[in-house]
Amino acid sequence: MNLGTRKLLDRSFTALGFGSIVIMGLALLVVLTPIVTKGVGAFVFQGTIEHRKLLLNEFHRGDAREIEKEAAETNRSRQKVFDMLATFDQELDKMDYEQQSKYRDSYGQVKTALRALFGPLPGDSEPALTRFQYGQTRWNKAEEKLHDLLYEQKWDYSNPDVIAKPYDVSRAGAFTGTSLAGLFPYVEENLDKMMMPEWTFYWGFFTEKSLDAHFFGGIWPEIQGTIFLAVGAMVFAFPLGVIAAIYFTEYARDGFLTSMLRSANSTLAGVPSIVFGLFGLAFFINTIHVSHSKSVLAGSLTLAIMILPTIIRAAEEAILSVPKTYKEASLSLGSTKWNTIMTVILPAALPGILTGGVISLGRAAGETAPIIFTAAVSVGAAIGLGDVLGSPTPALSWNIYNLASEHEAAAEIRHVQYGMVLSLVMIVLLLNLSAIILRARISKKLKG
Amino acid sequence: MPMALEATDTKQQGNGSPALDIYLPPERKKITGGGTPHVVAKNFSIYYGEFEAVKKVNADILSKYVTAIIGPSGCGKSTFLRAINRMNDLIPNCHTTGALMFDGEDVYGKFTDEVLLRKKIGMVFQKPNPFPKSIFDNIAYGPRLHGVKDKKTLEGLVEKSLRKAALWDEVNDRLDKNALGLSGGQQQRLCVARTLAVEPEILLLDEPTSALDPKATAKIEDLIQELRGSYTIMIVTHNMQQASRVSDYTMFFYEGVLVEHAPTTRLFTKPKDQMTEDYITGRFS
Amino acid sequence: MSDEVASSQGRSSEFIVSAQKHKIQKIKQKTGEATLLLIASFVAIVVLFIFYFVARDAIPFFRLRGFAEFFTSPEWYPADDPPHFGALAIIYGSLMVTLGSALIAVPMGVIASICLSDILPFSVRQLVKPVIEMLAAIPSVAFGFFALVVFAPLLQNQGGPILMWTWWVIAAPFLLLFVIVVSELLTSSITKESMKKPVKMALSTVFGLLAILLLYVVGQHLQGLVIMSGTNALNVSIILSFMALPTIVSVSEDALQAVGRELREGSYALGATRAETIIKTILPAASSGILAAVILGIMRALGETMVVWMASGNSSAVPDPFYNYLDSVRTLTATIAGDMGEADQVTGSARFHVLFAMGLLLLIVSFVSNLVSERIVVRQRKILSGQ
Repeated sequence: MNLGTRKLLDRSFTALGFGSIVIMGLALLVVLTPIVTKGVGAFVFQGTIEHRKLLLNEFHRGDAREIEKEAAETNRSRQKVFDMLATFDQELDKMDYEQQSKYRDSYGQVKTALRALFGPLPGDSEPALTRFQYGQTRWNKAEEKLHDLLYEQKWDYSNPDVIAKPYDVSRAGAFTGTSLAGLFPYVEENLDKMMMPEWTFYWGFFTEKSLDAHFFGGIWPEIQGTIFLAVGAMVFAFPLGVIAAIYFTEYARDGFLTSMLRSANSTLAGVPSIVFGLFGLAFFINTIHVSHSKSVLAGSLTLAIMILPTIIRAAEEAILSVPKTYKEASLSLGSTKWNTIMTVILPAALPGILTGGVISLGRAAGETAPIIFTAAVSVGAAIGLGDVLGSPTPALSWNIYNLASEHEAAAEIRHVQYGMVLSLVMIVLLLNLSAIILRARISKKLKG
Repeated sequence: MPMALEATDTKQQGNGSPALDIYLPPERKKITGGGTPHVVAKNFSIYYGEFEAVKKVNADILSKYVTAIIGPSGCGKSTFLRAINRMNDLIPNCHTTGALMFDGEDVYGKFTDEVLLRKKIGMVFQKPNPFPKSIFDNIAYGPRLHGVKDKKTLEGLVEKSLRKAALWDEVNDRLDKNALGLSGGQQQRLCVARTLAVEPEILLLDEPTSALDPKATAKIEDLIQELRGSYTIMIVTHNMQQASRVSDYTMFFYEGVLVEHAPTTRLFTKPKDQMTEDYITGRFS
Repeated sequence: MSDEVASSQGRSSEFIVSAQKHKIQKIKQKTGEATLLLIASFVAIVVLFIFYFVARDAIPFFRLRGFAEFFTSPEWYPADDPPHFGALAIIYGSLMVTLGSALIAVPMGVIASICLSDILPFSVRQLVKPVIEMLAAIPSVAFGFFALVVFAPLLQNQGGPILMWTWWVIAAPFLLLFVIVVSELLTSSITKESMKKPVKMALSTVFGLLAILLLYVVGQHLQGLVIMSGTNALNVSIILSFMALPTIVSVSEDALQAVGRELREGSYALGATRAETIIKTILPAASSGILAAVILGIMRALGETMVVWMASGNSSAVPDPFYNYLDSVRTLTATIAGDMGEADQVTGSARFHVLFAMGLLLLIVSFVSNLVSERIVVRQRKILSGQ
C-alpha cells in the first residue's frame, strides 16, 4: 500500500472512532430528550378549570371564591352545550325507531366525548371513580378529546396487502339537519371559554399522594419509597463495604483466601439483578422471615447486597490513592496501625469513599428487578417511617414499569409516567453529577 | 573532512557554537564519506505549553559519527533527541520554534510527513520495548508496514538486522518465541535490530543502557562501535564515561541551553566553558 | 504506665514491653484482624448463600420434571393442564437479544474506547467520560420506558425508512473506503506508472457502481420491511447495546491504557501511522483485556430485566425464521420477573420452582463468565509484565 492509502485508512480510522463517540453521545441525548421535555409536562402545563376544581375539592388548595367564580363562568358557556343536548333529546323522542337508531351510536359517542371533556353531564348520576368526576384537567388532553368529539376514527381496509390505516370522519356530517349540528362548531370555537386553560406549575406533583391510581395527584409515595429503599440499602452496605475495603487494602496478605474473597466480590458484582430478587425472596422473606411478606426492610437488604461490591471497590480505590507518605508519617510518629487508619487514611480517603457511596445510592434508587419480589407494590399510600420493617412501598422504578405496562389506562396517563421517569432519572443523575464534581475537587486537591 | 571543517569552523553562533574541528584520538578512525552536517538546528526551541524546555539551539550533527548528548536530568537532552524524529508530537501542548533541518529539509515543515521521517530516523528507547510478539514479528514489523510482504525478503532482512545488532547468534534458533522472553540486554539489542530493519539513516538512542546491567551495557556499547560509520548515531546518556567511550562528539546541555558542542576528547579534557568543566568534574550533577 | 511495667521487669528501654503486655497486644491485634476478616468475608458468604438458596428452590423443579423438557422443548405453557415447562424458546430469546446487542455494542464500544485512550485529546476525554458515566447511570427502567413508549411506536410506524437510512449512513463510508483500498491493492503489482492510473480508475468505477447497487438494493429491501410490532428483538437489542456500551468502553479503555507508552513509541518510531500502531501493536497487546470487557458487557445485556420485560413483546416462541429480529421474543429474566406474580401464591409448585431454575441458569452463566474474564485479565497483566 502506498503512503496515501495508509494515511487515508488512518484518517478513516480516526473518523470511525469519533463517530462511535458521537453515536454514544447521541444515544444519551435521544433517550434523555423525550424524558426531559415530556417529563417537565407532568408539572408544568396548561391546567383547566377542572384541574383547579380538583385541587380545591381533593387537596383543599386554591382560592375557593375565585375558583367558584371561574366555574360559574365556564358553566355558563357549557350550559349552551347542555341545552343543545336537551333539545336533541326532545328531537329524538319525536323520531320513529328507525330514525333513532340511525343516530343512537353516534350520539352515544358524542356524549362519551363530552363527558371526557367536562365531567358528568347534567342528569348523570355521580360516578364512583374520581377519574369520571372531573373533566380534562390538562388543556392538551382537552384538545385531544375535542378531536375525538369532532371526528370519528375509521379504518381503511380497502387494500388487503397493507396494514389498515386509520382516517378521520367528521361527526358533524352525521348530524346535519338536526339541532345537534351546531354543537360541534360551538364547542370547537368556545373550548377555551369552557375550560379556561392557565399555565400552571403543579409542584404538588412531587409532594402529593396520587388519586385514583395516578389519574390525578402526585407521586410522593413513590419518591418516598425510593428514598427509603435506597437509604436503607446504604445503611447496611456502606459500613460493611468500607470495613471490607480497609481489610483488603491494609490487612489482607496475598494468598488463596484473599484472592478467593476478591473473586467472590467480582462474582457478586456480576450477578444479574433479577437473581438478587429471587435470592431476596427465597432468603430474607421465605427463610429468615425478616417480614411476613414484601417489605422495605427486605428490599433494602436485597439492594444492599447488590451494591456492596461497588462500594467495596470504590472505597478500596480511594484508600489506595491516599499517598503512602501520609501513612508513613503517622506511623513514624508512633501511631498504631488502626489509629493511623482511622485518623489519617480514612479522612484522606473520605471524599473518594463518599463518591463511591453516592454512585451506589443512585444505583440502588434506580434498580427495579431486585425489589419486584421483595419490596414494591403497585398502589398504596406513602408509608410512615415506623412501617418500614413490615410494609411494602410503592417506588419510582417499579411504578414506572407498572403504570407503563400494566395500568388499565396506560395511554391516558403518559404524563404521569414521564414525570416519574424524569424524577427517577433526575435523582440518579444528580447523585452522579455530585459524585463527578466531588471527584474533580479531590483530584484538584491532590494536584495541589 | 574539508566539508565538515568548512561548514562548522566559524564561531559566529553564540551559545554552544558548533565549531567542530576534527580532533579524533588515534584509536578512532576517521570515517570516509562522513562528516557532512546531517541534522542542523538553527535557533531551535522546544516548548511544553509556555515552558521553554530547549532554548535556541544551534548545532550541526555530523553524519556517520557518534554524537553523545550529556547533561543533568531535566536539562532537555531527551526532549531535543525526541524532537529530531518528532516523537514529541505525541505530547499534547508541545511545539517548536526555529528550524531543525534533516538532509537540508525542514523537519517541522508544512509538508513534512512524520511517518516517512521516522522511517529515516530510527529510535531506541530508555526501556526496552519489544512488542508482545515473536522475535521475528518484532523485527519484521517495520518492513511489513512499509510494504515488504515477500517471506524470503523478510527472512533476509530479519537475519541481516539481527546480525548487525549482534543478536543473531543468540536467538537464531528461537525466532518464533515471544520477544518478552529475552533478557533485558537482548531485548534492547532486539529493539536496535528492529530499528535497523527499517534501514534508517540516523539512529537515536535515548539512554539505551539505563535499564541494563553492566554486562549488557558493554554489549550495547560494542554494538554502537560496530554501527559507527554506517549510521549517524545520537545517544543521550547520563553516564559521562559512556559518552567518552562511545562518542566522537559530545553536546552538553544545561537547563535547555546547549552549552558546549565539541569533539568528545577535547570536551572532556579541555572544556571551554566553566559550566561544562564543573559538570564533567562532578561538581554538580 | 509502660515505664512502670518496663522498669519492674528490670529493663531500661522504653520501647520494650513486658511479655504479658506483648501477649495482650498480640491477642488484641489478632482479634481485631479476625473481626475485619469476618466482615470482609461477608461478601463470600453472601455469594455462597445466593447459590445455595437459588439452587434450593431450583432443584425441586428438576426433581419434579427432569432436565430434558426444560432444555429441549420450546413449549412454555406453565398455566395449562398438564403444564409444559419447555424453556428452549426463552433461552433462545435471551441469547438472541444478547447477541444482537453485542453485535452493536462490541464494535462500537471497542472503537470508542480506542478513541478515548489514543485519539481524543485529554481535554475532550474529560468531557466524554461523564457522558459515559451518565449513560451507565440511567436506570434500566428508564431505558425500558423509552423502548416501550418512544422507540417501539417509532419502529412500528417508521421502521422501514429508519432501517434504510441507518444502512445507508453506516454502509456508504465503509463501501467507499473498501472500493478505494481494493482498487489500490489490485493495482499495486502493476509496475508501469502509465498503466497504473487508468487501470485504477476503471477498477474504482466498476467497484463503485457495484457498491452503489448494493446500497440501493439492500436499502429498498429494508424500506419495504413490514414491522408488525415495535416491541421486538431488534428494539431490545438496540436499547440493551446502549446499556452494555459503558461497561465495554470503560473496561477496555483500562486495558488499552495498561499497554504502556513504550510500545506505542516503539511502533511510531518505526514509521507506523496511528491506525497501524493501534491495530498491529496496541490491540493485540490489549486483546485479552478487551475480551474481558466484551464478556462483562455481554453479561450486562444477558442479565438485564426491565428493558426486555417491557419491550421484547414477551412471546415465548422461537421467531420465524429463527434469525428474524423483527419478531417478538421472551427472555429468562423477563420470564422470572413476569411469572412470579402468578406463581408465588402457589409456593411449592413446579411453576414457582421453574423460575428459580432459570435464575440458577443465569447465575451459573454469570459466575463462569466472571471467572473467565478475571482469568483473562490476570493473564494479560502477566504477559505485559513479561512473565
